[in-house]
Amino acid sequence: MATHAETDTRIRLRRSPTSYLTTAAATILLGLLVAWLVVNLVKSPSYFFTISFIGLTNGAVYALVALGYTLVYGILELINFAHGDVFMLGGMFSATMIISVFNLSAHPSTGPMIAAIVVSLAVAMAACGVINATIERVAYRPLRGAPRLAPLITAIGMSFILQDVAIAWKGPSYIAVPQILPTGRVFTIGGTHYKWDKFIVVVITVPVLIALMWLVQKTRQGKAMRATAQDRDAAAMMGINVDRTISFTFLIAGALAGAAGLLYALYFGQVRYDTGFQLGLIAFTAAVLGGIGNLPGAVLGALCIGFIQAFNEGLRWHSPGSDWTQSIVFSILILILVFRPEGLLGERTPEGA
Amino acid sequence: MSTNGGVVLALEDVRTSYGSIEALKGISLEVREGEIVTLLGSNGAGKSTTLRSINGLVRPRSGRIVFRGKEITNAPAHEIVRDGIAQSPEGRKLFPRMTVLENLEMGAFQRSDRGGMAEDMERVFTLFPRLAERKNQKAGTLSGGEQQMCAIGRALMARPKLLMLDEPSMGLAPIFVERIFETIVEVNQQGTPILLVEQNALMALDVANRGYVLETGKIALADDAARLRENEDVRKAYLGET
Repeated sequence: MATHAETDTRIRLRRSPTSYLTTAAATILLGLLVAWLVVNLVKSPSYFFTISFIGLTNGAVYALVALGYTLVYGILELINFAHGDVFMLGGMFSATMIISVFNLSAHPSTGPMIAAIVVSLAVAMAACGVINATIERVAYRPLRGAPRLAPLITAIGMSFILQDVAIAWKGPSYIAVPQILPTGRVFTIGGTHYKWDKFIVVVITVPVLIALMWLVQKTRQGKAMRATAQDRDAAAMMGINVDRTISFTFLIAGALAGAAGLLYALYFGQVRYDTGFQLGLIAFTAAVLGGIGNLPGAVLGALCIGFIQAFNEGLRWHSPGSDWTQSIVFSILILILVFRPEGLLGERTPEGA
Repeated sequence: MSTNGGVVLALEDVRTSYGSIEALKGISLEVREGEIVTLLGSNGAGKSTTLRSINGLVRPRSGRIVFRGKEITNAPAHEIVRDGIAQSPEGRKLFPRMTVLENLEMGAFQRSDRGGMAEDMERVFTLFPRLAERKNQKAGTLSGGEQQMCAIGRALMARPKLLMLDEPSMGLAPIFVERIFETIVEVNQQGTPILLVEQNALMALDVANRGYVLETGKIALADDAARLRENEDVRKAYLGET
């Protein structure tokens, strides 16, 4: 759960000629990528900024979800495949709050809008936190001593169950969420307006991230989380209630997914039972890209994926286009797993992950 | 505490299994106030399992464990620490990505008396000046001997009423082994009873008051340390004599 890279020199000593080829290939690819971006920037700067703002906004939503994968992996070495579906339920809760509880339609006045956002955020975070902690208690804790494959299969099963619950609750089609975010501009850069709907996503994400960092680094509960992540038996020997710490971690991860669910529902304006499956896989890729188990890594990975997706789908000069987004994102997942399994910020461990 | 004639810890016929394999086949032992008690035995005899049964990391199948008059047989590990048993485990089990200072602070996790913690931190740094020099270094980057000091220091930070040490001399250079054993005696003289598991039987019997010899999950011998040192079977099996 921390950055750390002092083994680098030792690794470098053992580099083979193939790894030089890999480095060369990576450098060339990166150079081409940068050149492509620069050409796009020069050709149409205002368009480039528009796309960048979209990338930042997507990245913020991915970051909140990716952090949940990475928190849980850090403490249990379990990929919680149900996490994306908890995020989807967060979107459903938010949609219900906005449509049925606050009865808002598009472009409401500022007072009710802020009230709706704040209350929905609280409800989505609380509900998803509790759901995620309950999933751990019911589906993962009984398998704590089992081989690692068992909880992984259970996680996939939980994912389907949550999707079925969503279908039973809301039906199989998209729920449209009214456009309640204001679309006035916050500031203008290079002729491009940065609008309030995107800004609100960042306004909610950044304090949540800061609160999370503070929680993990400074609080007693955060210390317990870090200790449990590094050595569960040793943590118990320090007097840490390991089961409660794991529950707490799932609670926090679920709350982050709930916040992401609200932002997604507000910004993209629609939620469906399978929304979490797609976005979950992308966020998982982001967590792996940054270094699974590493919190700043998850945010960095999510921003990278957010920008990559936006540039790919939006830029005009020689971009592959949205048909290729999935292929590109999952190619990145494969490349990372093959060439740098520890991710951008992760550390090299004996197991290599 | 002089409950039960100064008995701090008592195990009564403790049986512990891993799956279908019975690792402890009825262990009974005692640690009294002020004592160093050593647990000897070859690999797989059940020494570490005995410690894990005491600190709650594994649950005994039957038998009783009583600590200072309170039954802790099935208590969860974190409560047993709060009751006053701290351990430096086999393989040290430090938190590798935390600094030495953070590791020591983790040892005092269940305490809230800041003054007392600062005092104990000073005491650990006096016992192990090397740790003070390295306090901002990540524990994973320490040498084996320094890690052992850190693990013992971390256990002391709990201000335990019973200290359990599992193989504190394992893999250490002789000069470090001397230093660790000197510290064990020093801590004991400051009033903490110690349950010491050791492969280095000669050193362990030198510092201990009493000892138990474990063989395949049973207590084969229990006696004063001095008499165990003279015992022919012990000399043959553990002190390298033929």
